[in-house]
Amino acid sequence: MTRLRSEHRKVFRFATALSAVVSLALLSGCKLSEVFNLSGPQSTMLTAGPVAKSQWDLFMVTVYVTTFIFVVVGGVLAYAQIKFRAKSEADEHAEPPPQGHGNPLIEIGLIAASVGLLVIIAIPTLRDIWYTHDVPEAEKANAMDVTVTGYQWWFKFEYPTEMIKLPNNGGEAPLVTGNELVVPANVPIRVQLRTVDVIHSFWIPKLAGKVDMIPNRANFLWFKADKPGYYYGQCAEYCGESHAIMRFRVIALSASEYVKWLNNQKQPAKSVSTDDVAANEMPHAQFASLKLEDGSALSGSPEFDANPLEGWKKQQLPEAGEKADQIAAGRKLFQEKTCYSCHTIRGHEGIGVAGPDLTHVGARSTIAAGVLENTHEHMHAWIKDPSHFKPGNKMFFGGYNTLEGDVWKPNPKLQLNEQEIDALVTYLHSLK
Amino acid sequence: MSSHAATGHIDHHHDHTTSTGIPNKKLLWWAFLASDCMFFGALISTHLVYRLNPPPGNANPTQVFNIELTSFSTFILLMSSLLMALAVNAIQKGNIKSTRLMLLGTMFFGCIFLGGQVFEFGHFVHQKHMTLSNSIFGSTFYTLTGTHGTHVAIGVLLLGMMYVRTFKPAAGGGFLLNFVHLAAICVVMGVSFIFVVPGLIEVIYGHGFGEFLGEKAKPLIVGAIGAITLFILSRQRGEVDFGEKNAIDIETIGLYWHFVDIVWIIIFTAVYLLEYL
Amino acid sequence: MAEALAKSSFTGTRHAPAKTFDLFPRPTTKTGLIGWLTTVDHKKIGMLYGGFAIMFFLIGGIEALMIRTQLIVPNNHFVSAQLYNELFTMHGTTMIFLAVMPLNAAFFNLLVPIQIGARDVAFPRLNTFSLWVWVVGAILLNIGWLSHFVPAWKFGGAPSMGWFGYAPLTSRAFTPQLSTDLWVFGLQVLGVSSIVASLNFIVTIINMRAPGLTMMRLPVFTWMALVTSFLLILALPAIAIALLEVMFDRNFGTNFFEVSGGGQPILWQHLFWVFGHPEVYILILPPMGYVSEILPTFARKPLFGYPIVVFSGVAIGFIGFGVWSHHMFTTGMGTIATAAFSIATMAIAVPTGVKIFNWIGTLWGGRIVTRVPMMFALGFIWMFMMGGMSGIMHAAAPADAQQQDSYFVIAHFHYVLIGGSTFGLLAAIHFWFPKFFGRMVPELWGKVSFWLIFVGFNCTFFPMHFLGLNGMPRRTWTYDSNMGWNAGNLFASCGAYLLGIGIFTYFAVLVYSFFKGKKCGNDPWDGRTLEWSIPSPPPEHNFASIPKVHARDAFWYEKTNKEEIAKEKAELIKDEESHGGIHMPDQSWYPFFSAVGLLIGTYNMAQIHLPVMFGGKEILSSHMALAITGGVILLLSCYLWALEGPAGYHIHLDADGNPTDSHGGHY
Repeated sequence: MTRLRSEHRKVFRFATALSAVVSLALLSGCKLSEVFNLSGPQSTMLTAGPVAKSQWDLFMVTVYVTTFIFVVVGGVLAYAQIKFRAKSEADEHAEPPPQGHGNPLIEIGLIAASVGLLVIIAIPTLRDIWYTHDVPEAEKANAMDVTVTGYQWWFKFEYPTEMIKLPNNGGEAPLVTGNELVVPANVPIRVQLRTVDVIHSFWIPKLAGKVDMIPNRANFLWFKADKPGYYYGQCAEYCGESHAIMRFRVIALSASEYVKWLNNQKQPAKSVSTDDVAANEMPHAQFASLKLEDGSALSGSPEFDANPLEGWKKQQLPEAGEKADQIAAGRKLFQEKTCYSCHTIRGHEGIGVAGPDLTHVGARSTIAAGVLENTHEHMHAWIKDPSHFKPGNKMFFGGYNTLEGDVWKPNPKLQLNEQEIDALVTYLHSLK
Repeated sequence: MSSHAATGHIDHHHDHTTSTGIPNKKLLWWAFLASDCMFFGALISTHLVYRLNPPPGNANPTQVFNIELTSFSTFILLMSSLLMALAVNAIQKGNIKSTRLMLLGTMFFGCIFLGGQVFEFGHFVHQKHMTLSNSIFGSTFYTLTGTHGTHVAIGVLLLGMMYVRTFKPAAGGGFLLNFVHLAAICVVMGVSFIFVVPGLIEVIYGHGFGEFLGEKAKPLIVGAIGAITLFILSRQRGEVDFGEKNAIDIETIGLYWHFVDIVWIIIFTAVYLLEYL
Repeated sequence: MAEALAKSSFTGTRHAPAKTFDLFPRPTTKTGLIGWLTTVDHKKIGMLYGGFAIMFFLIGGIEALMIRTQLIVPNNHFVSAQLYNELFTMHGTTMIFLAVMPLNAAFFNLLVPIQIGARDVAFPRLNTFSLWVWVVGAILLNIGWLSHFVPAWKFGGAPSMGWFGYAPLTSRAFTPQLSTDLWVFGLQVLGVSSIVASLNFIVTIINMRAPGLTMMRLPVFTWMALVTSFLLILALPAIAIALLEVMFDRNFGTNFFEVSGGGQPILWQHLFWVFGHPEVYILILPPMGYVSEILPTFARKPLFGYPIVVFSGVAIGFIGFGVWSHHMFTTGMGTIATAAFSIATMAIAVPTGVKIFNWIGTLWGGRIVTRVPMMFALGFIWMFMMGGMSGIMHAAAPADAQQQDSYFVIAHFHYVLIGGSTFGLLAAIHFWFPKFFGRMVPELWGKVSFWLIFVGFNCTFFPMHFLGLNGMPRRTWTYDSNMGWNAGNLFASCGAYLLGIGIFTYFAVLVYSFFKGKKCGNDPWDGRTLEWSIPSPPPEHNFASIPKVHARDAFWYEKTNKEEIAKEKAELIKDEESHGGIHMPDQSWYPFFSAVGLLIGTYNMAQIHLPVMFGGKEILSSHMALAITGGVILLLSCYLWALEGPAGYHIHLDADGNPTDSHGGHY
């Protein structure tokens, strides 16, 4: 009998020691406030638009109601657990307590109470289902349409109302960009969600909850950014090997800046004269090699993250000291190495549509679908070994390597040395 | 059931060794049929989802179906249910001979139905160019009606096993004979629904009878040998270990058979007659 | 175990053999490999289910720890993206189909016949069949792992399209690997196993109850087993058809989910969740049953509001079929459908809440004895409540648009499936271990493992609520370090290691107790239901005489009315002996053989188009011949199975309840 009691004490001591050790171990590794951090760039709490805000407010209603239920029910449970504990060894073996079988009145009361509490949640839920579904009637007139298409593993954005003349054949097509959606702030955006392969899901946590992009199904969502800003988004439906790194950005601009951006985007790719570059002369430039695994962020340096919108705006400006010969060599390589067959560079050689449009790739803040900050080093590393950053991607499987039988073999046409990569990077970065 | 053997009295609807009085086997089949309903429910839903929202390039049902023929085979399948009910009735009265006859009749009607389906599938594929893979209508149609056809075929097999079971010698043994007997049934039924019935339907639609005999000579000979074997084996005499106590077994197969028929009525309405409703 | 085996080694006398169609003699040995392969004893089948399930539970746990190790720091390269995807796919598939479901099946087998006062299930051989078919499914699902060790076996790794296998990711264009085909067949086979087992338990519970055991006197666990069985037979067909359609798409060029042919991938989601949501209740209802048995035992008073607990279980099962689309709130169903499923989902919270109220009512006014099973059961209530609360949050569809497919959802369903199902199962294992092995698990070490598991579990999953609200999507192989997720993931991973240590401790203690635990009598916990009235471990025939049930907690009544029962028992034993003794079913080879045939058939059917290679050479142009061979073995086994009949033998007991020499039974 006493042995059991002492066992209980041992357990109690063990439990105390255990919790102390665990808390210490975990707290030394990370501050507790960071574990419960809700201020990341994809926070659903720090909302920046009415759709996300209504979703967060509804969430908080459910939090209040369920916390109330938990405190009340948990309180009663805790009270019962303590109050009706067998206090001693003798107590455990005493005559059993009265064998009561239940009380219908209590049951009915509790059922009614829980139904009542659920109604409190149900009312705002219904209201918000309709509100978040589509742009409110009053704002429909000035809403803007954008079409986004999911690919394994990147996003294509089209502006169906912004038609541009195609330089090659004189036809017209909507403006296309990749992985960075630029929209005016304070304008409701209606996003048509499409996909060419598997199911993806379009999610910009600070602006709106996700809606799936399903093949053979015309889904849409709407959002509005309250003020100019730089917002993170990510695919939220498992879509294959590199689902984790299928990311994108939404950049909301003031009306005037948006128009400026739009006008620049409508221009064909910027050209640099190639006449003065000899065909076989390889320009020389070296970029610092990239440290990949030191724990620093790949998609944004601390300087960039400090004010991403400013960082994005800086990226729009042409770089100082562009080297025309390198750019020309890069443009030539883009053609020689068959890059053009998958990527469009409007006004230049690129015509392919299997990969992202690169007409203004130099002006984007990220590459490889929001995975890498758009620096020379990153783009160099990306072109050198795309499968390191995005396993299974089509540039590596299908471009750099081709399928022979059921074995992937390196494509002899697409071998790039360091100098060639440098030239390509310089060329692509000139496309602002 | 030992209690039946002990009392000598047979109550066909109650089993006093179970809590509810329903025999275990019967309850198992009822539960299985509930589950089977969901199988067909899922298949029919799939069919109707695509039927009501046809993708571009889908086959046109009204141009594919041959309602007259399918109505006829539906009628035959319904009539087989009648024979099935008669078989159950016969065994409950202890009339083994009549039971055997009714079982054979049910199987035979089932084979006519299956033969109709074999003909229909061949006709759709070759004349109407609707295959399993060239349109969603084809995909959903063949899987749905094919699953039903498989159910009917399994039903025929079960009935065949039950038919053979009625010859189980009371003295024991007889495994080899049982196996040969069942094999003969499978051959006869298989030949009739794969070759004979579809061939005869073609004859009705204008194919020459002589040509039919010529084209299907080999399977017809095999089938004939099977039929003769069957006939010889059916002449077996001697005490059999089969009787009223086995009514429950035939009853449960009957349950399944009727269920498969009812499902067909739903399929016939939802798939074949949808445009005419 | 040795004891359990020794007790059941009595073979009794067989029926007169002449009347059956035996091709070769039926197995009679109760021990050794043959004894276990051919057993029809529900207790042995239960132990086999349990043993395999615990093995897979540990494998699934190792997969989880590898996942957490990959995520411990940002941009980690502990595993590749492909391997990570295989890990989370198989973690989900394993834990649901190969750990929790079969553990529940183990308890169905071990407990249901005893709780209803029966000697076996209604169809003993069918029960054996379910077991081995389940093993076939488990093999098919996991065989892909072998390609990581033996490159010559080209399964393409384990399946990697998620346990939910959303079309069109399962299309040949996106997952050409053989492992996807094996996954399709593996799940299909597991479905067959579950449906067959459920049919068996439905008949057993409805038809094999002891005299006096009315439906409203059934132990709550048995009730939950019945509801679960109905859910299984009605829910599994939906996924069976969906899997059939995927199989046709992959192998025979149909277009059910093929986008290019006009297929609608959304249809897969509907069919999958029509199964998938009832599946959630299939996983949680049996644990609710265990808890409803354990709480009254240790509170030493009957379950509060028995009829309402039973009714709410049935209601959960029923409403569970009408809420599947809440897994699809982000698929653009439109406002009306979203609203309807939102409300239905809130409605199902009510019967779930009712159960919690009644469990608290059971504790109220009791005398709570805090033993290890009770601690897990109380842990269940607390953790399940947490999971329920986040569940209500998900029912608010617009809020769910932010949470769906984020770590918030992971936190939610792990609170339900670990804090709920697994805690319930750990409670049950601890509670019934003495019954089936005759030995106690040391209290101290049980409590140590409880606290390790409890603390580790909460450290792992509580921070995930915040990770999800901070925008971390699930099924992601890696994340960048500027997202604010670093600390939460580090914390969760450390918690996962602690949880791993706890689970390891728990099972290590069980192994220790199996050999060295203190021996116990029939009724170590002062139990209330019939299983505590028979010896530990139970003899092969369970009951010396089929008991008569007089009240809801049948054994509690027996203990409180000893004289009346003793007289009645003596009568019943005499009565049974006069009817020829205790009738037991015969063992059989055919359930096992037919499972072998099924394995050969499905394994080859999954790769039907591929040539058969042996030693680097092609020996057959397709797997068709092998698939047909498997099918023939299966059919032939079923045929011989039908011919051999149930047969059986009789056991006769002496005055002490030990089997004696017996005389031949009658048919």
